[in-house]
Amino acid sequence: MKKRLLFWGGLFLLLFLAGCSVTTREVAPDEKVIYDEGYHFSDKKAIVDDMVHSLLSNHPLVRATGRPVLIVYGIANRTSEHISTSGISDDIRQTLVQSGRVRMINETQRKNIEAETSYQYGGNVAAETRIQKAKQVGASYMLTGTLRSIRKKEEPQFRLTKHTLQYYSLNMELTDIESGLIEWADSTEVIREASKPFIGW
Amino acid sequence: MSTVASKAGLAPLGRSGFRIFLLCVLLIGLCGCAGRLNKAAEQFYADQPEAALSLLERGDWFGKRNQLLFQMERGAVLHQLGRYRESSEVLLQAAAQIEEFERLSLSEQLGSLVTSEWLLRYKGEYSERLWVHTYQMMNFLLLGEYESAYVEARQALEIYLRYPQALKSDYFTRGLMALSFANVGEDNDANLVYLRLAEDLPSMTPVAADLVQLGNRLGLIDEVKRFEASLPQPLPEGDGELVLFIATGRIPKKRPGNVVVPPSIRFSFPYYPDSRIAAVQTRLLPAHPQLPQLSTDLAAIAAQSLEQRKVAIIAKETARVAAKEAISQNVGNEHGRAAEAVVRVSLFLLEEPDTRCWQTLPGRLTLVRVPLPAGQHSLRLRLSGGGLFSAPEIALPTFQLRPGQRFFYSLRL
Repeated sequence: MKKRLLFWGGLFLLLFLAGCSVTTREVAPDEKVIYDEGYHFSDKKAIVDDMVHSLLSNHPLVRATGRPVLIVYGIANRTSEHISTSGISDDIRQTLVQSGRVRMINETQRKNIEAETSYQYGGNVAAETRIQKAKQVGASYMLTGTLRSIRKKEEPQFRLTKHTLQYYSLNMELTDIESGLIEWADSTEVIREASKPFIGW
Repeated sequence: MSTVASKAGLAPLGRSGFRIFLLCVLLIGLCGCAGRLNKAAEQFYADQPEAALSLLERGDWFGKRNQLLFQMERGAVLHQLGRYRESSEVLLQAAAQIEEFERLSLSEQLGSLVTSEWLLRYKGEYSERLWVHTYQMMNFLLLGEYESAYVEARQALEIYLRYPQALKSDYFTRGLMALSFANVGEDNDANLVYLRLAEDLPSMTPVAADLVQLGNRLGLIDEVKRFEASLPQPLPEGDGELVLFIATGRIPKKRPGNVVVPPSIRFSFPYYPDSRIAAVQTRLLPAHPQLPQLSTDLAAIAAQSLEQRKVAIIAKETARVAAKEAISQNVGNEHGRAAEAVVRVSLFLLEEPDTRCWQTLPGRLTLVRVPLPAGQHSLRLRLSGGGLFSAPEIALPTFQLRPGQRFFYSLRL
């Protein structure tokens, strides 16, 4: 009797300790890991891929001669979560540059470029090695976007789980800076439903 | 066990009546664990916010029952110290914790059913949950992070829409939500919040100027006509705006209320004492006309929030009284009347209402908006009313205003 008690007790303790141990695993960047209905890193990859593909395969970039110059302005966060949308614009910029079809203005480094130019003309840099002023390229198109979300919770009822529906949409526009016309616009959506237990121990 | 215990003179420990008594003593001790929070609040109101903060950073004695309170108090104290970044980080944790509380803990609920509400993790009144986002909106606007203020406004709106009856009179937070929406150009969202405010305010005048401006931008001609009649006269105009968040007074603490039914049945419930902090009057020097204020009496909102939970409190209280009566009678049947008396006294003492609350909140929050011309401004602010003993004159920091820009400033008196 005592032995059996010891066995089950030991087994329970072992299982308990196993449950408490810390585990880690590598997650591939393209692997979908979703814990809840909220925004996840895999969503960013999916929406960036969608948007860049649409932008490059539609007018005006699909038939553009040469490599049009674009500037990406930040993506406005209009969700109810603190999402860093600069991550989305960074990825869009990177994917567009890697496509080789367009040239991008480095808007985020403008202040540093200005500071470096001032330094070069400050008297410490040899004249023949200085960069030439007024040689920067102007952008033809401006890429902007808005990330929105709608969250819908199930009405309170007597049940053990609670359902939440979360909808995200990223709308993007390419504006011709000279004419002010929108030359391309598209959106991509992520809709996710989650159910969480209403009661826990 | 019993033989060893009797040999060691510990026989009473084995008796179930005594065990319940010990448990009760322990739980009564738990009720006193809010001591550090009370002390921090005392230091805060004694003009020692740094000392209050260091006490709050030490956290609870043990367990995480009061973790949310520690976070909310720290958030408010850090805001008062002008450490808006740190305040926003702490309050983000508080908001995440409130989200977690949506899941009901069975063990906690069962435990509190036979003991006391003090055993539960503090989940915040509906009003306090909203004010976490109110402080966050202020923090982010003061930090110039308008998108984050927008996110907080959406979260605040979600809470407001869940408990509209209790939170309806929080004009300050609702005005702040609209301002956070308008600040990022979300005119439609701002317009909706202002429209509902116009319905709930005693007079439409405080929001008429915004509704006319937004109505013109959104092409809502009928609405423009409707609200033009309520515009403040003369209408203050400017290129930019000075926005002041003015906190005055102190929110009252929850108090314990009791109804005793002889011999040992005690119904206990928390309540907010009647307290009213009058609105504060502001005047800028040199003089500039202001838009009408939006102001909230936080004590009134807190009392309304508690009132809304009243039915749930009474239901749980009744269940607890029944459970305790059953325990006492059971002990009496098994161990005699003396043990029953001990248990009855212990359970009676244990029936302590949960009076935990966010103590470092002000009594009133006032939103003051002053349209100003573009350029550099060095202004002084004269305050009166609002329970202030003197009429303090405060020098505002010198600031540069560009057309269309808003300058935010927070002060507490």
